[in-house]
Amino acid sequence: MDGDWQFQYAKNPAERPVGFFEPDYDRDHFFTIQVPGHIELENFSQIHYINTLYPWEGKVYRRPAYVLSDADTGAGMFSAADNNCVGAYAKRFDLEEPLRNNRVTVQFDGVEQAMYLWLNGHFVGYAEDSFSQSEFDLTPYIQDTDNVIAVEVFKQSTAAFLEDQDMFRFSGIFRSVRLTAQPEIHVNDLAIHSTVTADLTTGHLAVTLQLNDHPAAGTVSLTVTDDQGEMVAEASEKATEQVHFGDFEVANVRLWCHSDPYRYHLQLTVRDADGAVLEVVPYDFGFRRFELVDKVMMLNGQRLILNGVNRHEWNPDRGRAITQADMVADLQVFKENNINAVRTCHYPDQIPWYTMCDEAGIYMMAETNLETHGSWQKMGAVEPSYNVPGSVSQWRDAVLDRAKNNYEVFKNHPSILFWSLGNESYAGEVLAEMNAYYKRVDSTRLTHYEGVYRNRAYADRISDVESRMYETPENIKAYLDDHPEKPFLNCEYMHDMGNSLGGMASYVNLINQYPMYQGGFIWDYIDQALYVTDEVTGNRVLRYGGDFDDRHSDYDFSGDGLMFANRQPKPAMQEVRYYYGQYNN
Amino acid sequence: MANTTTNLRVIFGDGTLGVAGPACHYIFSYERGGLESLVQHGKEWLYRTPMPTFWRATTDNDRGNGFSQDSAMWLGADLFSHCVAVAINVDDQDLGWPIAPETNRFSNHEWAEKVQIAFTYQTTTVPKTNVTVTYQVFNDGHLGVTVHYDGQPGLPELPALGLRFIMPTPAVGFDYTGLSGETYPDRMAGAVAGTYHVVGLPVTPYLRPQENGMHMATEAVTVTRHTTLNNTDVDATDFSLSVVQTTAPFAFSCLPYTAEQLEAADHIEELPAVRRTVLGVYGAVRGVGGIDSWGADVEPAYHISAEVDHEFSFEIRG
Repeated sequence: MDGDWQFQYAKNPAERPVGFFEPDYDRDHFFTIQVPGHIELENFSQIHYINTLYPWEGKVYRRPAYVLSDADTGAGMFSAADNNCVGAYAKRFDLEEPLRNNRVTVQFDGVEQAMYLWLNGHFVGYAEDSFSQSEFDLTPYIQDTDNVIAVEVFKQSTAAFLEDQDMFRFSGIFRSVRLTAQPEIHVNDLAIHSTVTADLTTGHLAVTLQLNDHPAAGTVSLTVTDDQGEMVAEASEKATEQVHFGDFEVANVRLWCHSDPYRYHLQLTVRDADGAVLEVVPYDFGFRRFELVDKVMMLNGQRLILNGVNRHEWNPDRGRAITQADMVADLQVFKENNINAVRTCHYPDQIPWYTMCDEAGIYMMAETNLETHGSWQKMGAVEPSYNVPGSVSQWRDAVLDRAKNNYEVFKNHPSILFWSLGNESYAGEVLAEMNAYYKRVDSTRLTHYEGVYRNRAYADRISDVESRMYETPENIKAYLDDHPEKPFLNCEYMHDMGNSLGGMASYVNLINQYPMYQGGFIWDYIDQALYVTDEVTGNRVLRYGGDFDDRHSDYDFSGDGLMFANRQPKPAMQEVRYYYGQYNN
Repeated sequence: MANTTTNLRVIFGDGTLGVAGPACHYIFSYERGGLESLVQHGKEWLYRTPMPTFWRATTDNDRGNGFSQDSAMWLGADLFSHCVAVAINVDDQDLGWPIAPETNRFSNHEWAEKVQIAFTYQTTTVPKTNVTVTYQVFNDGHLGVTVHYDGQPGLPELPALGLRFIMPTPAVGFDYTGLSGETYPDRMAGAVAGTYHVVGLPVTPYLRPQENGMHMATEAVTVTRHTTLNNTDVDATDFSLSVVQTTAPFAFSCLPYTAEQLEAADHIEELPAVRRTVLGVYGAVRGVGGIDSWGADVEPAYHISAEVDHEFSFEIRG
């Protein structure tokens, strides 16, 4: 469904084309927009960069609902706002032959920031969480030909309080959209439980499937092979709503790690009652053992050293609508420069990136799409008099849903070592619940959260690691010398804004001094700047916040990468390559 | 019920004070330490926060008599002075510097008749001193500006004292009521008072780029642009902003460059491509002298003492 869509822009909800989703609505005057892409980069909406403060700073006074008072519902705060732009997207399509007579869904990989969906005039659903895939069942309303799918995208919603990441503030359908057809027996969910015994010799595998409700009669078979095609596990079960395989024991298991990202090949084959193949699910997975031993993070019995970077998805022409080629290029840069870990700051990345990191042996910190620093960090000071989610029960479900999205989509990736609760969202009961959620559903990974550093009352309930940002080597030593409870990592360090990466030795030297010091993630991988045509010279030049008359802005503060925005390395990269090369295992 | 006499909506932000008035919207940034956004009729007029300006690009006379060496710390102050205090007054009520949690009592519907915000800048000179820039937004949306310099014994003479506005795109020209030609305190006699139109942003092509384009004794200047940096703005219609005298005439220059950009160039062709409008509004301007260019000073009456207070005011209208 990528490509041209019909598009109408409204600068606020009051001016939006009400009813545009009706099949016979006159959309002849609509513009054409490319999906995936940002509305701002098509010059409908103003480009705006801002860091911590909310994007309406200086223009609208807002407090999140229920935070200062239970009576404050915040109704209309965004839907009646005069500065909340709306994109109306529509596309006519015929269902391709192979998709017909099946259950049909549509998957939106990323829509910022709130979307309503209609098909053929029928309301289908609503979604938030800009960086998670939203899938909708279209079956009740789909036709073989002449369908009209319509999406109304609001730039801001209550989700805006939860998505205050330090980045250009875009909107629109910025990741791919596709239709899927599902056969009468369909694997809705695959959960691979792969563990390794303490002696690191034997793997255990259990696989749980969720099929569609009331599946037809049939079977699901599973095979697991190694990279030589040798069968490791094999089983077949009757198709029921939940199917369980295993426990299988894998002797002399080959473990997955950075230097040897070895994966086994799992394949599911779904057959109907006559034995005809309905669906095949291939999935490569790994065995690895990640645990705390004497308060030190150990991977497959080795102390973990994180030579990491924080990576925003960025392309200077396309913003966050990056391409596969961008991802391939980034992994090549990682390899060339001894970068072994990535934090998906500060939201889930495109789905293929996780598989690519599995293949490349990159350790991942998979971060939940949550950042609320505008609500509690004001001009650099901790000021949590109003903050979300805090311990506000009305915000609980919306926040926990983001963790569930992150876990369920990415749970089978060996590359993920950490579930990160989000970035800079202070700490309260809701984050403690999120931590508990990840611990409950996954015993093979650690939880990570830096913000509890700002509210030590939750130290026992949030984060398996002591994580800080931009901490000095001296203060890290002080922590490690003082009978620490948790291993230390820098979730952000070596802030590489412009020409400012130096003194890395002071951090690297801690590796030999303190077993509980385990490295970190440089801030950050790539400058966020946008190519525009220079109005004076006609040359393509890189622009940053404030260069679009956008206010309030944080200007060049998004230029902190090891790479320039156009993916050329900064001179400091050789320093990173040198130091990260010393502990690259 | 709407009160028809209170036109200004005040937005108590977490890092800014927003003030929306008739056809205008101002954002005063606590982080940037000044007026960050000045929007009139939907057009942004600021590229960077207006800052006190002290430097002028060294004239040949300054070079000859060593003035720039003697006053070099004002170059640093021009570049690096910074905001140290903010004070807000709404409808004659002093609010100090209200930020959360104090601002949690406000709403999105706060109205006022007048809003005053003062930014105090500390110079990087030795010894230090302060300059306070006070903005007052009036009920009709116009902006009053007062710049107060605190005299400080021991500081070298000032090259200039003004407030520098850097606008996002080049002006197509400006109109002013004042004196003809390029004037300085010790070079005003030949000028004719009147209203003048200047096309573009001409830089006087002195063989070596230096201070130029000053206009003394001005009642009003109107700068006109036709482009913005807003990526959604395709309207190329001219739009204007005026600076108008209040208590006394002011001096100004309207150039595409800052003093530092001029200072760095040895030839006109070394100046960068024209991208911005740099409007300096001055309360005090040093004379240019002229007896010789190998040592003679500007006459004493045209020096600016840094040891005494200076203050000037003007207003901005869309």
